[in-house]
Amino acid sequence: MNNNSNKMFFLFILFFSTLISISSNSWFGCWIGLEINLLSFIPLISNSKNLLSVETSLKYFLTQSLASINFLFMILIKFSLLKNFNMNNIISIMMNSSLLMKMGSAPFHFWFPNIVEGLSWMNNFMLMTWQKISPMILLSYYFNKNFLIFMIIMNLIIGSLGGLNQTSLRKLLAFSSINNLGWMIFSIMISENLWLFYFLIYSMMIFMMISLFFLMNMYFMNQLFINNMNFFIKLNLLINFLSLGGLPPFMGFMPKWIIINFLLINKFYFLTFIFMMTSLIIIYYYIRIIYSSFMFNYFKMKWVNLLMKNNMSLINLSSFISISSMILSTFIFM
Amino acid sequence: MCFNSFFFLFFFMLINYFFFVYFIMNGLSVFFEWEIISFNSMSIVMSILLDWMSLLFMMFVSLISSVVIFYSKSYMNSELNLNRFIILVLMFVFSMVLLIISPNLISILLGWDGLGLISYCLVIYYQNLKSYNAGMLTALSNRIGDVMILMVICWVMNYGSWNYIFYFDFMKNDYVMFIISFMIIIAAMTKSAQIPFSSWLPAAMAAPTPVSALVHSSTLVTAGVYLLIRFNYLLIDMFFFKVLLFLSILTMFMSGISANYEFDLKKIIALSTLSQLGLMMSILSLGFPDIAFFHLLTHAMFKALLFMCAGVIIHMMNDIQDIRYMGGLSLYIPLTSLCLNISNLSLCGIPFLSGFYSKDLILEMVSFNSFNLMVFILFYLSTGLTVFYTFRLIMYVMINDFNLMMIYNLYDEDYIMLNSMFVLLFMSLLSGSFLSWFIFSYPYMIYLPFNLKLMVIYVSILGSILGFMVSNMGIYSLNKLLLSYNLSSFLCLMWFMPNLSTYGLSYIYLNFSQILFKNIDMGWSEIYSGKGIFNILKNYSVFYNIYQMNNFKIYLFSFILWFMILFIFFFI
Repeated sequence: MNNNSNKMFFLFILFFSTLISISSNSWFGCWIGLEINLLSFIPLISNSKNLLSVETSLKYFLTQSLASINFLFMILIKFSLLKNFNMNNIISIMMNSSLLMKMGSAPFHFWFPNIVEGLSWMNNFMLMTWQKISPMILLSYYFNKNFLIFMIIMNLIIGSLGGLNQTSLRKLLAFSSINNLGWMIFSIMISENLWLFYFLIYSMMIFMMISLFFLMNMYFMNQLFINNMNFFIKLNLLINFLSLGGLPPFMGFMPKWIIINFLLINKFYFLTFIFMMTSLIIIYYYIRIIYSSFMFNYFKMKWVNLLMKNNMSLINLSSFISISSMILSTFIFM
Repeated sequence: MCFNSFFFLFFFMLINYFFFVYFIMNGLSVFFEWEIISFNSMSIVMSILLDWMSLLFMMFVSLISSVVIFYSKSYMNSELNLNRFIILVLMFVFSMVLLIISPNLISILLGWDGLGLISYCLVIYYQNLKSYNAGMLTALSNRIGDVMILMVICWVMNYGSWNYIFYFDFMKNDYVMFIISFMIIIAAMTKSAQIPFSSWLPAAMAAPTPVSALVHSSTLVTAGVYLLIRFNYLLIDMFFFKVLLFLSILTMFMSGISANYEFDLKKIIALSTLSQLGLMMSILSLGFPDIAFFHLLTHAMFKALLFMCAGVIIHMMNDIQDIRYMGGLSLYIPLTSLCLNISNLSLCGIPFLSGFYSKDLILEMVSFNSFNLMVFILFYLSTGLTVFYTFRLIMYVMINDFNLMMIYNLYDEDYIMLNSMFVLLFMSLLSGSFLSWFIFSYPYMIYLPFNLKLMVIYVSILGSILGFMVSNMGIYSLNKLLLSYNLSSFLCLMWFMPNLSTYGLSYIYLNFSQILFKNIDMGWSEIYSGKGIFNILKNYSVFYNIYQMNNFKIYLFSFILWFMILFIFFFI
């Protein structure tokens, strides 16, 4: 199913389902949105000609439906046994757990790298960005602070440590997505506006990276430096990776800065420490990726020639945005 | 590039000359001021003071630098990066001019630091190991002076303005002024290579000869003296001037003795510069700043000329600087030996050359005012030593037999170098009288007994006889010299003071840093932060992967298990 109108149809239903889930005033409506989300995403990722993508879509269906069932069950218990009272913490823990599993957050994240490995780049982009919207907003309606902080710490640590041993670019971005989920869950506990800001910038950065990998058809780390890439493509890769890691003065530093500001003002010192240290590990393995392809003594194979004649403007534009966003934003939001 | 900068600097010199004559005849001085930033109570201003002293000094500096640049067109013509050299020299001249015209401590700092930095770049110009060591010694010794001036800037903030010339006379007995004067004197001592800091000047002879002619004879080393002349009204009755007197006459004496043991042509000239610097500093600390300025200017003329002649001789002797290989050169290179002789005799103070006016005036002022016995003895002894090493040099280079090769062709008809030397020759002959008519509006009153007046001539004749006798060394004199080996090595190596600045400072710290490097940088620091943390993280990641690469059903089952546990807690 490549580039036909079915895809457009299912994408439309996907977007609509998230909107249903967010804007309903009853928990049932949320659950309905989540189910439609699952049902419309499956046709997007399954491709009956490829055995791997069939297996991937099956795994995705199993995990997500299990989580949805649990979510429905907890909603019903909340309505019937507790009369919609918010007193009992266990229910909130159970509802949060099922939503965390839908998102792919630790400790229920084990399906996430497996599935990401089996999808194409554009489907990965959908999975990493759009699919996270409705579970996060539903999370913000009824969350348990202590449980969620514990989950954040686990997210951060697993996202950083798991990615150290990877060579596949998709799994690397999956673990980075798990790490960023930690930041995003914390930001949604602060305020939804802040979460929106973080999410938009994160999805912009992921879009730039994934579009670059998609155009170059790169799935593994060694493809980064065996190719004979243009200098500007490598520069763009460097800037985007560093921006994703949260290095100033690039764009990705801004949301992390605001979150750290909040953390320090409200005296979450230990949590700040964990945020910082895991960011460091993540930047380490980003730099490790681009190091061989870009720094002083890089590998340059002459027999593979990657001609990027069109779409250069997109790459230049994305580099420009990554570099200058932070400074330009001070002019806009004066 | 050479011609352009030569013409520009020569024209600049003429402008300065005409302004100098106009200003000194009418007693004018001009002060420009531009306020850059104004803080709460201090304001950084960029000011330019043009009085007769700064215009005269600028004239001499631009004359010497224009002549040196013209000279280096021929001297350094085999240099590939000649433009780089000329640009460095021009930047040096610019820093010097900035130092001369500034009555403001911040712009003095700019010029001072610029001088130190660019003299470092010029000393390391021939990039070999000896030049690197010499450059490091030069830069670090000058750096001490820079730090001192920085601290003076801090302390002067007590007075609300960095224009020191305005409030000197009024604040003399202040505690703050005491500290400021101490630091200024240390800064001037590092730049002018007085006794604790004197090891960099002979070492800096690793620079190319035009650089030595410009920098180490007339401009860089006299920057310290000029600073003290500007600060003279502050320092004049203070204790530190007595300390400076003591150290500068010791410098004068020590370098005079060391120059007698040296066999390297440029080192002899460097030590003679050091001796004359000691003379300038000592007459300044005795309270005569205008005589010090006078000697500064005449010394600049003949010392630059002497360095340029040395450059011609070195080129001619196939880049050998050892005077034992030279001899009888007066027969072969008459014009160069003319310049060499005139500058040497002017250095000794032979009557009516330019050095005579300043040196004789200094000695007569020392004899006329009543000073210490040691001051008196060391002054005259150093004058005698000057004549001693000068005549020894003349005997070795000009008069004895030629020692280098059997068949030789000594060629000095390089008219670019000769023309530049002739300009300085003209000035070296006439600048003494010319300056004495301009600077001193009325002569000093000196009334001396007959023998005291002739004391200069006595020590000069004694020195010349000794110089003649010492230069007649032969093979048989080696045995007799071994008798005084300890004393000779003490006197020759500048009383072992360079070891203080080089080996003595670095030995303990380098040892300690080796221990630190081995134990910490390549030891514990690797375990606790470098490789150690990497190994820990890698092991964690490998351990995590065991959980990641698992059966899919186990993930789903673990989720169910979690919910069952929570359910149990719910229903308890």
